[in-house]
Amino acid sequence: MFQIIKNEWRFLVRSRIFLGISIAFIAILLLSVFLGNYQTQKQEQTHQNATDHVRQQWVSIDEMNPHSAAHYGTFIFKPSNLLSSLDEGVNSVTGNVLRVEGHVQNEITHSEASQMQAVSRFGKLKPALLLQYIVPLLLVFLAFNSVSNEKQSGRLKLLVLQGAKPLQIILAKTFSVWLYGVLLLIFILIVYGILNSQSLTADILARTGLFFLSYGLYYFIISGLTVFFSARWQNATLALTSMLGIWIIWTIFLPNILMSSVEKWHELPSRNEFQTAMKEDRSKGLDGHNPSDKRSLALKEKVLKKYGVDSLSQLPINFDGMRMQADEDYGNSVWDKHFGNNRSVLQKQKQSFQLGGIVNPFISLQNTSMGFMASDNLHHQEFLLQVENYRRDFIKMLNDKQTFGGSKTGDWSWKEDNAFFKSIPDFDYKPTQISAVLSNYILDVALMILWTILVLTMIVFGTKKIKMV
Amino acid sequence: MRNLTIFLYEWKHFVGSPFKIVAVLLFIIASIYGLQNGADLYEKQNSEIERINKEAEIQKATTLSYFENNQKGPENRPWIDVTSPFWALWHTPTYHFKKPSPALVYNIGQTEQYGFYKAIRTSSSPYDADMTNEISNPERIQSGTLDFSFVILFLLPLLLLVLLYNIKGQEAEHGFLPLVFVQTGSKNWWLLSRTAFYTVLLLLVLFGVMLYGATLTNVFNSENIFGNIFLWVTLYLFFWVIIYFLILKYGKNTVSNTLQMIGVWLLFAFIIPATVQQWITIEKPTNLMVDLIDVSRDTKSEINVQSIDKIDEQLFQLYPNLKDTKVAQENITVSRLRRLSTSALINVEMKKATKSIEEENKSKNKLISKTYWFNPISYFQNKLNQLSNTHYNDYETYRNNIQESVDKRNELKVFEIWNDIKVDKEKYLEYNATLSNSN
Repeated sequence: MFQIIKNEWRFLVRSRIFLGISIAFIAILLLSVFLGNYQTQKQEQTHQNATDHVRQQWVSIDEMNPHSAAHYGTFIFKPSNLLSSLDEGVNSVTGNVLRVEGHVQNEITHSEASQMQAVSRFGKLKPALLLQYIVPLLLVFLAFNSVSNEKQSGRLKLLVLQGAKPLQIILAKTFSVWLYGVLLLIFILIVYGILNSQSLTADILARTGLFFLSYGLYYFIISGLTVFFSARWQNATLALTSMLGIWIIWTIFLPNILMSSVEKWHELPSRNEFQTAMKEDRSKGLDGHNPSDKRSLALKEKVLKKYGVDSLSQLPINFDGMRMQADEDYGNSVWDKHFGNNRSVLQKQKQSFQLGGIVNPFISLQNTSMGFMASDNLHHQEFLLQVENYRRDFIKMLNDKQTFGGSKTGDWSWKEDNAFFKSIPDFDYKPTQISAVLSNYILDVALMILWTILVLTMIVFGTKKIKMV
Repeated sequence: MRNLTIFLYEWKHFVGSPFKIVAVLLFIIASIYGLQNGADLYEKQNSEIERINKEAEIQKATTLSYFENNQKGPENRPWIDVTSPFWALWHTPTYHFKKPSPALVYNIGQTEQYGFYKAIRTSSSPYDADMTNEISNPERIQSGTLDFSFVILFLLPLLLLVLLYNIKGQEAEHGFLPLVFVQTGSKNWWLLSRTAFYTVLLLLVLFGVMLYGATLTNVFNSENIFGNIFLWVTLYLFFWVIIYFLILKYGKNTVSNTLQMIGVWLLFAFIIPATVQQWITIEKPTNLMVDLIDVSRDTKSEINVQSIDKIDEQLFQLYPNLKDTKVAQENITVSRLRRLSTSALINVEMKKATKSIEEENKSKNKLISKTYWFNPISYFQNKLNQLSNTHYNDYETYRNNIQESVDKRNELKVFEIWNDIKVDKEKYLEYNATLSNSN
């Protein structure tokens, strides 16, 4: 079999068209890696400048009442991810700026897509675009006449007479085409690795390895299926058009239809509905800015009792800060409920979409590609969750300072100095480790493995019925 | 006559090819699905607008009940006094909508990148958090909804490819191409007639599905939407017909023709737009709105702590007629007058910041437009977006209208406060009428 693969490659390398297409394609791939990397670096620079600017504003606060500082708040900018230079995933459609402040959990805003007119329906020129859409087509073009040509020229019969088994021939042809895709993939990853050698971590390497695995599996499915059709159909054109049909249905048609459908099966609320429901639940809790609110009064009684005093002025603490924090705590539970619901709907949508991999391995590839490159919705949600956790700590620090910092209830003119504001840590984004989210992609990988087994089975059983001429 | 015979004979070819028939049927199914998606979004946006309007009516009725019952506001919020212009305007629910065009059925465009309703307050800005898109799955937004324009822009060239790929190549492979040329006289007319057959077939299919779409959102009620969109769809079809015709004319065999056709499609649908988008984001990285952030925090604080004289000076410069108001003329004291008026000054600064953002976005759009001559799919996409009012420019207009509404609200508030107006039920209704004009 190894000899057949060697011969196949010898033929391929001799073909000028093949070499021409390969060189042109490698040039585009290189361009995509360089541009992807350069864009990520440039975006990182913009992100760093904005983060530094906002932090500088925060640490420059001379003196301010802690609760006023909670309203002043801060801003968090979604960091660009080194891996997103390979697959950008959802990054261009999600927002980039999130305001962190007291009482309110804001939504992330200002997406890249909203800042210009429409350009590309399939995203930027990132390696993933070429690896997902173009490389499989190249593999189809390489494989569609690999067996039918041999049949027409009579070489297939000759090979069998020389002792090669049809199964060996078909598998060897499949592997030689697959190898072409894998070599392109390795080439991309090596260039990417060289360009980012300074920043490579174990997590990035593990993610890249899994990225390689999922593309390797998909390329095998495409190569095997095309060679199988080439062997089964009497003419090459039929094999080519069948595979083109499958490619169109798998990559253009089904993912779009399925994604649109899952959003209808598991519907998210409209923003207005969502906000109205949040507002209603919030109104059932304590109002931090309203001392005459019933729940505020109940809390006041509880605190007075705890400290064994009769009035707020006798308290050694500032009750306003405590009331604000109680308001926050209630607001947090409302957020957990409503955003939790949204997250669970999004999870259901994702799971339904993943099941689409049963009929379309391209869906599994898209999921794993984005997921392993940390640019899918799951990673976006993880980022939002980290910001919300930071917001809670940030506001609690300010409210605690208001409560226990030495001021008295009602003294809104009391201010904290610059040292306090400097002591509040900035948001430190911790990239999600692949080990923490790997379980979410097992279904996708398993479905691609099943597809690989299916294609192998088709080749093994299908080759028995192949006509030699 | 001979050409007509070739044309009609192609029908026999077509019905004898199950592969082509299945492709056309799949295309029709995708079109209907896309039209349905567009119509669903149209319905969804309209019903959401209706729901918000109803909510606003309830809010209005609640505030009216305060006037009717001689109340100043809700019992649990004693600081509210709806007889003051500030609180009366605060309780005047004003929404600005971007009402969906019936043409949404044909093209969703950039609709899902933006919000379509906005609650207007004196401190509102067209770049507020509620101006972002509806809550949705970003993975779906990223892959895009399968709407009719997607079917046209990406699937139509592929369908045309499936219908045309073996013309001439098949005859050449079977060795009877010279015979065909002898029988038909002109090989160009033979090729043209066969290509024309599929072009007419597709035009009929497109007309049919577009007609079906028109019944979903009352397209015919609006000014020639159907005609304009059909015209551009036809032009787009001709664009691909010409490219494929030239490939067939100069091509040698079916396989090479197919590869060339798919190659051109990949170039126009994937490689060029993706490269342009990559280039634009390198040239002009995503704006993180730092200028806007600065105004919303630092400039706002600076304005609020200014001296009364300075605030008065700026307000008089902004509204020269303010000098004629009761407060300015009689020098009477209105509680927190300046503090309640500074939102108008902050609004001016916000407008300056948003203007620079819009300018930057415009320069990005200019760069994109410059690529149209070699980036036809983006050109046709944006053309369809313009026709269905879902282009970036339509949302810019929507933002401008919001800004005008905010300006109007601020001006009304400042003048009412400076005239020391006591609000009653009639006045409150007048506020609602004045501000709702901008809806």
